[in-house]
Amino acid sequence: MTTGDAAVPRTLAEDLRARDDDALALLLRARPDLLSPVPNDLTQLATRAATRSSVVRTLDRLDAFTHQVAEALAVAPDPCDEDTLRILMTGAGAGARPARARRTSEQGGALLPGGEPLAPELAAAAAEALPRAVRTLRECGVLWGGEDRLRLVRTAKDLLAPSPSAASATGLGPSVGEATAGMSPSRLQEIVADAGLPGTHDPTSAITALTGLFGDAGRLGALLAQAPDGVPEVLERLLWGPPYGEVRDATAPVRADAGDRPVTPVQWLLARGLLLPAGQHTVVLPREAALTLRGGRAHRVPEPAPPAVDPVTRPERTVDMTAGGQAFTAIRTVVELLTEWQTGGPPVLRSGGLSVRDLKRTAAALDLTEPQAAFWLELAYAAGLIASDGEADERYAPTPAADEWRQLPPERQWTVLATAWLAATRTPGLVGSRDAKGRALSALGPELDRSLTPRVRRAALRVLADLPAGGTVVKDALLARLRWQRPLRGSADALRTDLLGWTLEEAETLGVTGRGALAGHARALLESPPDAGRAAALLAPLLPEPLDHVLLQADLTAVAPGPLIAALAETLNVLADVESKGGATVYRFTPASVRRALDAGRSAAELQTFLAAHSRTPVPQPLSYLVDDVARRHGALRVGAASAYLRCDDDAVLTELLADRRASGLGLRRLAPTVLAAQSDPATLLERLRAMGLAPAAESADGDVLITRADARRTPPRTPPLPVTDGPPVPDDKLLGAAVKAIRAGDRAATAVRRAPAPAADGLPRTPAADTLATVQAAALAGESLWIGYVNAEGSASQRVIAPVRVEGGYVTAYDHTTDEVRTFALHRITGVSELADDPA
Amino acid sequence: MSCLIVQSDKTLLLEVDHEQADACRRAIAPFAELERAPEHIHTYRLTPLGLWNARAAGHDAEQVIDALMEYSRYPVPHALLVDVAETMARYGRLRLSKHPTHGLVLTSTDRPVLEEILRSKRVQPLVGARIDDDTVAVHPSERGQIKQVLLKLGWPAEDLAGYVDGEAHPIELREDGWSLRPYQKQAVEGFWHGGSGVVVLPCGAGKTLVGAGAMAEAKATTLILVTNTVSARQWKHELVKRTSLTEDEIGEYSGTRKEIRPVTIATYQVLTTKRKGVYPHLELFDSRDWGLILYDEVHLLPAPVFKFTADLQARRRLGLTATLVREDGRESDVFSLIGPKRFDAPWKEIEAQGYIAPADCVEVRVNLTDSERLAYATAEAEEKYRYCATTATKRKVTEALVAKHRGQQTLVIGQYIDQLDELGEHLNAPVIKGETSNAQREKLFDAFRNGELSVLVVSKVANFSIDLPEATVAIQVSGTFGSRQEEAQRLGRVLRPKADGHEARFYSVVARDTIDQDFAAHRQRFLAEQGYAYRIVDADDLLAGADEDS
Repeated sequence: MTTGDAAVPRTLAEDLRARDDDALALLLRARPDLLSPVPNDLTQLATRAATRSSVVRTLDRLDAFTHQVAEALAVAPDPCDEDTLRILMTGAGAGARPARARRTSEQGGALLPGGEPLAPELAAAAAEALPRAVRTLRECGVLWGGEDRLRLVRTAKDLLAPSPSAASATGLGPSVGEATAGMSPSRLQEIVADAGLPGTHDPTSAITALTGLFGDAGRLGALLAQAPDGVPEVLERLLWGPPYGEVRDATAPVRADAGDRPVTPVQWLLARGLLLPAGQHTVVLPREAALTLRGGRAHRVPEPAPPAVDPVTRPERTVDMTAGGQAFTAIRTVVELLTEWQTGGPPVLRSGGLSVRDLKRTAAALDLTEPQAAFWLELAYAAGLIASDGEADERYAPTPAADEWRQLPPERQWTVLATAWLAATRTPGLVGSRDAKGRALSALGPELDRSLTPRVRRAALRVLADLPAGGTVVKDALLARLRWQRPLRGSADALRTDLLGWTLEEAETLGVTGRGALAGHARALLESPPDAGRAAALLAPLLPEPLDHVLLQADLTAVAPGPLIAALAETLNVLADVESKGGATVYRFTPASVRRALDAGRSAAELQTFLAAHSRTPVPQPLSYLVDDVARRHGALRVGAASAYLRCDDDAVLTELLADRRASGLGLRRLAPTVLAAQSDPATLLERLRAMGLAPAAESADGDVLITRADARRTPPRTPPLPVTDGPPVPDDKLLGAAVKAIRAGDRAATAVRRAPAPAADGLPRTPAADTLATVQAAALAGESLWIGYVNAEGSASQRVIAPVRVEGGYVTAYDHTTDEVRTFALHRITGVSELADDPA
Repeated sequence: MSCLIVQSDKTLLLEVDHEQADACRRAIAPFAELERAPEHIHTYRLTPLGLWNARAAGHDAEQVIDALMEYSRYPVPHALLVDVAETMARYGRLRLSKHPTHGLVLTSTDRPVLEEILRSKRVQPLVGARIDDDTVAVHPSERGQIKQVLLKLGWPAEDLAGYVDGEAHPIELREDGWSLRPYQKQAVEGFWHGGSGVVVLPCGAGKTLVGAGAMAEAKATTLILVTNTVSARQWKHELVKRTSLTEDEIGEYSGTRKEIRPVTIATYQVLTTKRKGVYPHLELFDSRDWGLILYDEVHLLPAPVFKFTADLQARRRLGLTATLVREDGRESDVFSLIGPKRFDAPWKEIEAQGYIAPADCVEVRVNLTDSERLAYATAEAEEKYRYCATTATKRKVTEALVAKHRGQQTLVIGQYIDQLDELGEHLNAPVIKGETSNAQREKLFDAFRNGELSVLVVSKVANFSIDLPEATVAIQVSGTFGSRQEEAQRLGRVLRPKADGHEARFYSVVARDTIDQDFAAHRQRFLAEQGYAYRIVDADDLLAGADEDS
C-alpha cells in the first residue's frame, strides 16, 4: 500500500485504496447506495461508484458551485491540473486576452465576442471556494487523482460533458475532434488551409493543428481580426450557449476564397472551422474556440456562494407564543380526528385512500377546509395514529398507537407529530391533483410519497435555523437558497417550488414556525440527532395548562376557559354537546345529551356530583333540574331484547302508548297492567318511542338496564409507514465503521499477491465477479477486446473473444469476434475474463 | 391571564368576573354583537353586520385587531384576523352620494368592485348611466333597494347622500322635574350623528323618551309607526306630557281615526291593510314632507313596511327596539334600510343603574294528571300545544299564584282566549283581548294604574307598549309557541321601575314533560342569555305553600 506507485493512483480503485478509513467512511456516508450490499473489496466499491445511476444520484446532490466545478472538469483535458481548473472557473485574466486588446486598439472599441471579464470580487470568491468544491467532489468519489492530475470519473464526465446531441450546462459544444468526426479528410484539409495553417498529412494532425489554433488566444485573435462585419455578432450569439445555430445549409463545403461572391459571416466562419456542421441545418461552435473567446471560463457566472437571504426578525416571544398556540391547535385537531373516527372511520377505496366525499365529510366534521383536512389526515397517518384495519371490508380506524399517543402529555404528543412530519415522504399538498395518468390523487392513498418532501422540509427549516432567533425570510429568497444548495431541473424544480410553499404553510399550521420564524421548540428537533425531550420541555410552558374545572351557567351552557384534563373532557363530551371550539370550549346541556350520559351508565346522582365537583360556581338550578328531569324519565320505560316487550311501572304510560296512533306500527299489545309486548324488534321500538318523545331504556334478559356505549374501534397493531426515500438511508457510524473494515479486509484478500491461478480444467478463464465487472468496464472504456468464458442458458460453456461496448444493468453489450455480431452477455453468466495478450504473436 | 378567549368560530368569550372585563367589554362592544350574557361568561360574536356597524361608527380594522390581540388569552387564530380585516375593508368601498349634476350616484374607490356589482343581474335595473370609470348614476327612487342588494352581495354601501330636512316644526323637550337619563342622551346623540339607525334598549328603559329626544333634535314633522292603537295612545300621552307638543299637534292614524297632523302616529296594521291588491294607506308617507320617521319595535316591522321604507331613504329614520333578534332572520334588512345600530345597552347594565326594576323569573312546573296526560298523548299534533298549555291543572296553579300575591298589581298573560276567559271568571278579573274596544281597554288600564283593579287578564294584545308601571307580578300561562322576543316583551311589562323599588316577579307556568316545556325552554333562552336566570319551582311545592317567602 505504501509503495511509490500508490502515490500516483492509476485508477479510482487505487485512489480509494490510498485513502484512510475516515475518508472511506465519508464516501460511504455521502453515497449510502454503495453500501447495499456491502462491497467485497475496493475494486468492487470503485466499480459500483462508477455506475451510471449512482453517479447521477451523487451529482444531483451537489450544490450549485460544486456542480459547476464538475461541469468545468468535464470539459477540461483529462487529467486536469489545478491551474487549468482555476482558469475554467475564474477566467484567464487580462494577460490571456490579447485578442481583445488588439481589436480594441485597432478598431476603436469594437469588442471580440466574449463579453466582460468576471468581476474581480466574484473571481476571488470563486477561486476561494474552489478547493472546497474539489474536496467535496473527491470525498464523494467522482473525482480522483493527484493534485495536478484531477480526473473526473468517466461516467460523470460522460454525463456532464457536451455530446453531439446535447450541450452541457456550460453552454459549450463538442470539441473540434468530436465535431469533425465523419468529415472527409479532404474537406478537413480545406478548412486547415483556409484557417491559414500549413497542410498536414492526416486528419488527426489536422485536428491537432486546428485545436492548437483555437486554443491560442493570440493566433485566434489575429485570425478574427480579418473577419468581415457580422462575424463577432454570430460568435456572440453562440458563445455562452446554446452553441448550436440553424443555417440553411450547414454541410456545403465553403471556401474562404469564394471568388467574387460575397461571403456571409456564417460562411466565413464555416470555411475556417470556427463553426462546424452538426447536421443538415445546424452548425456548432467548437468547444476550444468558445473557451478561448470566453477568456477560458466554463461558466458565464460562477456561483461560489449561496445567494444571500434577507432576514426579517420578529420578537422571539411572539414567534414562540404563536407557534405554541398552533401546536396546541394541532394536538387538538388530531385528537378530534381520532375521536371522530373512534368508532370506525370511512372505508378505504379499492384503489387505496379516502374518497373525496369522505374527505369532505371529515373536513366538515372537523370544521376545516379540505386541503387542511388532508394535511391532518396525512399527518396522523404518517405518525402511525390511523391506518386501514386490513379487514375484508377495509376501513380506516385509529391504531393502538393512537391510544398510547393520547395518554402522552401534550408537549410529547406534539413532538411525535412534528418528528413524523419532518421525516414523512407523504405529501398532502398533492391531494386532489392528478397523476400522469390523469387519476386524482386521494388523501391517504398511494402515489403521495415524494422523496423530495422531507429533504425540502429539512433544507428550508435548516435555512431558518441558521438565522438569528426569530428570523424569517420571504419564500422567494428561501427558494433561491435551496436552488443553490441543490440545483434541480424541470419538473423536479417545479415540484420543489410547490413543496416549499406547502412546507412553509404546514410548518406554520403545525406550530413548527410562528409568523414565519422557526420556534425555539422546533429548533431542538432539527438538531442531529433530534432532541425530542428538549423540544417537549421548551414547548410545555407555551401550551395552556389543562384545567380541571368548567363554568356552569344558567342558560344550560358550560364554558371550559382552556383545555380540559382528559378525563373531564371525555365525560363532558358525553354529557353535553360541544357548541364552540377554540382556546376554550363551550358545551351545551340538552335533554338528549343528558340522556346520552344516562345511557352510558351514569346515574343522576353521579352526574350531579360530577357537575358540582368540576364547577367553580354553584350548579345552576335549571341544570340540576334538567338532569333530574331527564333521569326521572330515563328508564321509566323498559324494552326487552329477547321478547320485545315494553313494561312500565306506570300503567298510565302504557295506556297512553296503546292509545297513541303513532305507536300503531309497533304492534303493541298489553300483557299486564304494566307490561306491553311489541311485534317490532327492540331497536326499532326504541327509535319510535324516542321519536314520540318518550325516554325508554333497553333491558337485558335479567331485567337490568342495558348500557349502550359505542365500542371503540381499533386496527390491529400497525407500524407507521416508512418514509419512502429514493435510496437507502444514511448509515450510522457503527455500520460505516464495520463496512469500511469489511471492505478493507476483502480488498487485502483480493489484492494479495498470489500465484497465477492454474487454468481450470475446462479451459475457461475464471475470475471473481468483481474483477470480471471491473475488467469488462475498463475494456468498454478503452475499446479493448477480452477473452471470456461464457455459459449459455442451456448450460453449455464456451469461450469467446468480445469487444465490450457498453456495460449496463447486469448486461454487457459487445461485439463478439467469435460469431462476428453484436450481442449482449449476461454478466452473471461470464465465468471469467482474461485480457488478450498484447502481442497476438 | 386575560379575560377574553377568541374562538375559531368567531365567538368571543368574555369572563365577566375578571378585573379587566369592563375595559375589555368597552373595547369589543363596538364591533362584536353580544349574543349571550349569562352569569359568568358572556358570548360575543363577530358577524359581518357587526363589523360593518363598527365601520359605520368610525372604527377601523386596526382597532378591532388591536382589541382582540390585547385582551385575548390565547394567540388569536390568524385566519380570523385576516377575515376581520377583509370583511371590514368591504364596507365603504362603495358610496352613495349626491352629485351636483347627476343627482344620486354610486362611487367606488376600487374599480373591480364596481365592475363586479354592475355585472350582477340584481343591480342592473337599479342603476343608470355610467358617469365615469368609478361612478355610476343611481335612480333616486332605488336608494333603498340598491343598499339592500349591495349588502346581500357583500359590499355594503356607505350612504352619504344626506337627508331632506323636511317640514320644520318646533318641538322641545319639557324637562320640568325630570330629565333624560344619561344613556338616553347618549342614544339620541349616537343616532343624530349617525343620521339614521337603530337604538337598542331594554323594555322599560324609556325608549319613548329617546324618540322624543330625537324629535326635539330634528324639530321637524314626524311620522311615528307603532304596533297597535293602545301603544299609539300611549305615545301620544307621553309626548304631550314630555314635550312642547299639544294634543292638537299629534294625530292618530289607525283603524278608527285617520288624522294627519305635524306629528302623526300610525299603526303597522293600518299601513299593511291590503284592499284589492293595493295598500290604500300608503299615501300617508307622502302626505307631508316628513323630517323624521320613527319605528317602534323594529324587530316586529312587517315585511311590507320594509318595502315602503326602501322608498324613504332620504328621510331620517330611527328604529327603537329591545332586541335585534328577529324570528324571521331579516336583521340585514334592518341594517340596510333603517340603518346600522347606533346605540346598545345590555339589560343587566341598565338594571344595575336602577332604571329598570330587578326581576325574579320563575318557571313553575306543573304535573299533569293522568287523564290529562292521556288526552295529551292522543291529541293531534297541531293541537298538542294548545291542549297542554290550557290544562285545568295549570289554571289551578295560576289561581294559587294570584292568591299568593294578593294585594300586588298582577297581570295574567296568555295566548288562548277561552283559557283567559275561564281564568277571568275564576279570578273574578276583567279580560282584555282583541275584541275589547279601545275605550274599554283605556278604562281598564287606568283603573289598573290607579290601583282600583289589582288583577288584569290580558291576551297578546298587551304584549307591546302598554305602560303599566305598577304591575309587579306577571303570570304567563301560554304564549305564541317558542317566541323568544315575546317572552322578553312580556317580562318588560313588569320591568318599569317601581315607586318603592320593589322587585318584579315573572312567573311562567309550564306543563311538565310536554311540548309546553320545550317551548318554554326556547322562549327563555333570550332572557337567560341576557342574564335573567330562571328559577324552577315545582307546582306541588307551591300549592303546598312550602316554597314561599312573601
